[in-house]
Amino acid sequence: MEIFSECFKKEHMLSKIDARVKILVSLAMLLMVLSYKGFTLPVLITLTCLFLCINMKIPLKVFLLRFSEPVFIASIILILKLFFSGKELLFSIPIPSSQFSLLTLTGYKDGLMDGLMIASRVIGAVSVVVVIGFSTPFTEFVAGLSWLKVPKGFTEILMFSYRYIFVLLDDAMVIYNAQKNRLGYSSIRRGLGSFGILAGSLILKVFEHSHNITVSMIQRGYDGNMPVLKQRPFKLSEIILSVVFITAMGIIWKI
Amino acid sequence: MKIQGSRFKIQNALIFVLSLIILHLSLVTEANAMHISEGILPFNWAVLWFAVAIPFVAWGLYKLKRQSSIDLSFKPLVGLMAAVVFIISCMPIPVPTAGTCSHPCGTGISGILVGPAISILISSVALLIQALFLAHGGLTTWGANIVSMGVMGSFAGYLTFRALRRLNISLTISGFMAGLFADWATYLTTSIELASGIRGDSPFMPLFWKILIAFIPTQLPLGILEGAMTAGMVVLLYKKRPDLLVKMRVLKPEEVTA
Repeated sequence: MEIFSECFKKEHMLSKIDARVKILVSLAMLLMVLSYKGFTLPVLITLTCLFLCINMKIPLKVFLLRFSEPVFIASIILILKLFFSGKELLFSIPIPSSQFSLLTLTGYKDGLMDGLMIASRVIGAVSVVVVIGFSTPFTEFVAGLSWLKVPKGFTEILMFSYRYIFVLLDDAMVIYNAQKNRLGYSSIRRGLGSFGILAGSLILKVFEHSHNITVSMIQRGYDGNMPVLKQRPFKLSEIILSVVFITAMGIIWKI
Repeated sequence: MKIQGSRFKIQNALIFVLSLIILHLSLVTEANAMHISEGILPFNWAVLWFAVAIPFVAWGLYKLKRQSSIDLSFKPLVGLMAAVVFIISCMPIPVPTAGTCSHPCGTGISGILVGPAISILISSVALLIQALFLAHGGLTTWGANIVSMGVMGSFAGYLTFRALRRLNISLTISGFMAGLFADWATYLTTSIELASGIRGDSPFMPLFWKILIAFIPTQLPLGILEGAMTAGMVVLLYKKRPDLLVKMRVLKPEEVTA
């Protein structure tokens, strides 16, 4: 499961920074990108994040895969905005291109600008989340969330599900390969049936695992509460650096 | 010469349209389009959807606290269910009409098994992990995605299943319809959220219909696939472990013994 941060280079320029600082800076960046009316800030943030990803030696394939869905959605919105929104005419193409055209494809300049602004906002915001996702181990992230006073029940469920995603994925892959070897996906109908059985088997595994986990956890002293990582004190250098970075971006946001 | 010129223009227009279709299909094949992506919603809309989602998540947390005080295995069970919803919504399923892959939501089955409140909590956890580690959805659009997938999907699945079971409709059909409506309700809400968020000064309804129509090639068959998957899961559980369905209050004890 190489999509999770733990599988990449461990030592990089963000690995020593406290998860709480990373979360707070990321939230500040996201708020700025979201409320910014223009291209400069999202593009600048994208470039900064790109530099950080190169520094973290993220494999190109994983990086592109991470951006595929947001880019797809951003391009659909760009097309929708270009052709269906706006007043200032940019181009007009009759289809088919003759006197008896059935429809006219009309692009609007203000629609294009709106679409580009949304697209840049998407890429900028995704870059921020990609960096925090790649640079922060999950346990540290959860500890950061509990420091931010996210309810305990939520962080506990988050920990349980993160841990068991890998276990259940392994189970799912074993069942999937067995079904595939027995031509379980040779037609749409068989594929549907097989997928239903696969998902059902996972649910059965959930009940089985949850019982076993609880028994083993109670034997180790579980009383219904999960401990989280203890926070070390903030470093002055981290705080100064993050304040300088947020202020610099804030100035660009204000301009 | 005039005829040749117009033919040339028609050819150009056709090439342009074909290129758009090819570009669309090639992009779709790469993406598992699913939730509202990071950054699409403007600040005020993102905040509004968070405000709508938070009470529902709080309701889920309240139910979790109450249930786990009675049964210690409930928290691990909910965590594992969240992992399953995560895995289901990451599994690509071929969509024949669009020539692409997409994936179901999984909230239909979680709504049936653990009820809407816990199902909302489950989907919020799955959505957070997806946003952080797969860039499916996002942190700023987390609220909007909880409302569409968690709240609407869970309620649609749960209410459909309960209503059909009350009418003595079979487990297979009830499960199928629950999965179908959970999926479609999610995408209907997503279209509303997207249209209201990106419309700018344009009127709401035309953009809403355009987004809904853009979703139809993938979501119409995917809803049917999700329905079949949900039915398969419920039937498998009934055949292998009917006691679990009784424990989760999906079926009454007499329905199992009968």
